[in-house]
Amino acid sequence: MSASWKQLSLQILLLLVSCRHINTKTPGPTAPPLIPIDQLPTDVRSVALNGESHTEKVELLNPVNLTLECTWTGNQDKLANITGLWRKDGEEVKNSNQTVPMENDQYNLKRVFSIVNEEDLGSYTCEFGSKAKIDFVLAAPQIGDVRDKPIVSYLGDFVVITCKMEETKPEPSTWYWYKANGTDKEQIIAAEEPLRYEIKNEERNTKLVVSSLVEADAGLYFCGAVYAISTSMSQVELKVISFYEPLKPFVAIVIAVIVLVAIILLYEKSQSKKNSTAAENGTTDQTNTLTQGETNGHGESSSMRQRKV
Amino acid sequence: MPPAAKSKLGYTPPDGGWGWVVVFGAFISIGFSYAFPKSLTIYFKEIQEYFSVSYSEIAWLSSVMLASMYAGGPVSSVLVNRYGSRPVVMVGGILVSTGMILASFGKTIMHLYLCVGLIGGFGLAFNLQPSLTIIGTYFQIKRPLANGLAMTGSPVVLFTLAPLNQWLFDNFGWRGSFLILGGIVLHCCIAGALMRPVNKHAQPKPKAEPAGCNGEAAEKVASSEANAQSDKLLSKENEDDSQSQGCLETFIDLSLFKHRGFLIYLVGNVVLFFGFFAPVVFLAPYAKHQGIDEYSAAFLLSIFALTDMFIRPITGILGNTKWVRPRIQYFFSFAVFYNGVCHLVCPLLPGYSGKVVYAVFFGLAFGMLSALLFEVLMDLVGAHRFSSAVGLVTIIECGPVLLGPPLSGALVDIYGDYKYMYYACGVFMLVPGIYFFIMHYYNYKKLDEELKQDVAAELRTCEEAVQLKMIRDGKTKHETDG
Repeated sequence: MSASWKQLSLQILLLLVSCRHINTKTPGPTAPPLIPIDQLPTDVRSVALNGESHTEKVELLNPVNLTLECTWTGNQDKLANITGLWRKDGEEVKNSNQTVPMENDQYNLKRVFSIVNEEDLGSYTCEFGSKAKIDFVLAAPQIGDVRDKPIVSYLGDFVVITCKMEETKPEPSTWYWYKANGTDKEQIIAAEEPLRYEIKNEERNTKLVVSSLVEADAGLYFCGAVYAISTSMSQVELKVISFYEPLKPFVAIVIAVIVLVAIILLYEKSQSKKNSTAAENGTTDQTNTLTQGETNGHGESSSMRQRKV
Repeated sequence: MPPAAKSKLGYTPPDGGWGWVVVFGAFISIGFSYAFPKSLTIYFKEIQEYFSVSYSEIAWLSSVMLASMYAGGPVSSVLVNRYGSRPVVMVGGILVSTGMILASFGKTIMHLYLCVGLIGGFGLAFNLQPSLTIIGTYFQIKRPLANGLAMTGSPVVLFTLAPLNQWLFDNFGWRGSFLILGGIVLHCCIAGALMRPVNKHAQPKPKAEPAGCNGEAAEKVASSEANAQSDKLLSKENEDDSQSQGCLETFIDLSLFKHRGFLIYLVGNVVLFFGFFAPVVFLAPYAKHQGIDEYSAAFLLSIFALTDMFIRPITGILGNTKWVRPRIQYFFSFAVFYNGVCHLVCPLLPGYSGKVVYAVFFGLAFGMLSALLFEVLMDLVGAHRFSSAVGLVTIIECGPVLLGPPLSGALVDIYGDYKYMYYACGVFMLVPGIYFFIMHYYNYKKLDEELKQDVAAELRTCEEAVQLKMIRDGKTKHETDG
């Protein structure tokens, strides 16, 4: 508990500091409205485990006092007591080491965590000795529809990059866009110079339109779905190429086609010249095909009957 | 006994030799015609985002392309009748290429509709018709096999284009890909270059075997008569062509609408095309609807395409056998009927393995029908009128082809389930199947009757010729004697 109080006071301090310099280039939303810990809504997640390990995903939108409950029924040794432990992101939570008695053939671990901001999210694990553990992965809704291949566009053209939050997940309160600058992320403000960016936000999706592309526009772009608890990011890579890139294979193919067509037509011309000079050979060949045709044929002459249909 | 519609050819098709090269050319041409519109769907999502249009607006692109491909049929027929297959296919290839190149510079979605949809579709129409027509001129006896092989182009080219398009898209975006596709589609020009017009004049006079006439003299007379007749036939046809009842008749053969076989084919096809494409379009969504994951659903389509690919040449071979060839219309009716049965049974097969079984059987059915689709038309109207016939058929089929998938989509939306749509498609194919069986039974009977009448007529002319010769010989003998 004291750890979360310390965190909270740190938060307040940071908030006061950041209020002084509103730096538009800092990534992340404005700080969440400050609610005292005991007025946070509460939520409970429980997992019962029979085996050795389990991972539970917990989707959070707003700051919450989250109670995590672990129940383990899988102990074959039937020890009377077992050591219980909580970890956050692998590191032991202070003062969480306790002895867990067996009740009704199971062991129970329960703890309340104040999840207030992005740092509080992560992986919380309850461990039963070294025999079993349950992971709770706390995260804001993640953007599922991620494009793994880069978007390719052309110099001078415009490009539309979209991010979408699935229907099954809750809507973000807003969307932000960032461009990678080295290892940092720079937020893209549409109204700022250069006026080449346009951001269109609808509840579930967002579009970034970059016009009059130049080579410097290539790189990683991030869209952030903003929730009260944190911002979920998804990245897209943009490649900008010149029109000569596809032109090269195109010209190669066209030349190949022209050459092939020329070869075919010239071959045919030379063949027909041969045929006209050796006309007799031609007719004997034709008779051979004819007799062949007739033996395969169906006995009727093909040109005799005049069918009026 | 094949129906005698091909008696009007006036020459003997080579049934081989350069014909197989032409089949290869037709393979490529037909492949592009059918597979190209389908493979473009990979770009739709990106284009949709780029132009900020809705899904239905981008789906219109496919529809416009398909519509102009079918509407361009008669134009294509007219040109083929006039100039032959080769120039039309080459122009078609250049048209599609131009359309794609112009589209790569497109600034609005309307621009894409015009370039890819209208110009591209027209160009593809100029590829499809002539390829089918030229097979009819090169092949007679082995024609079902040639048709089956040429129609295999569609699944094979689709199989190649799909991953190629994906690779192009990943590397060049949609604009660059359209440009390069404009180059790739020029291979249709190569296909066109291979379509050498068949040599009609180097054929010797066909040996005639008049039924029932015996005796050398009679044969000689008959054979010279036959030659005279065949020459007369050719010249008569040319006369007919020039003495037409107006401008239109010289270009396209509208008298086909009085052709019994053609009408049967047309009516049946219009109904069956309502349920032809929709099951393919909705196979993956149906699978996903039942909880199957995206990759397995896509795999269903691959299974379908593979079975389709293999059954088409096999159908061609089967169609060529002496048991099937004479009654090939029944084979086609069976294929249509079998399609219908497949769709009706599909919703009854549970789970993923049920879908796999359906994909296999549907692939077989679809391939069988596609391989025979144009062969039976050739069989009914003959190679001479095939060009006009296929033009008329495609423009009339335009309606059901365009309306089929949206209507099926509407069915899905109304009922919220795909199975009613499959039942409907099944009925749309079952009924024409039965209709074809009945009508072709009647048609074959009529054709046999007409054949008997013709044979009787020939016998009479033969006997008259023999009598005439005997009288003449008698006279000369009399003169020499006297």
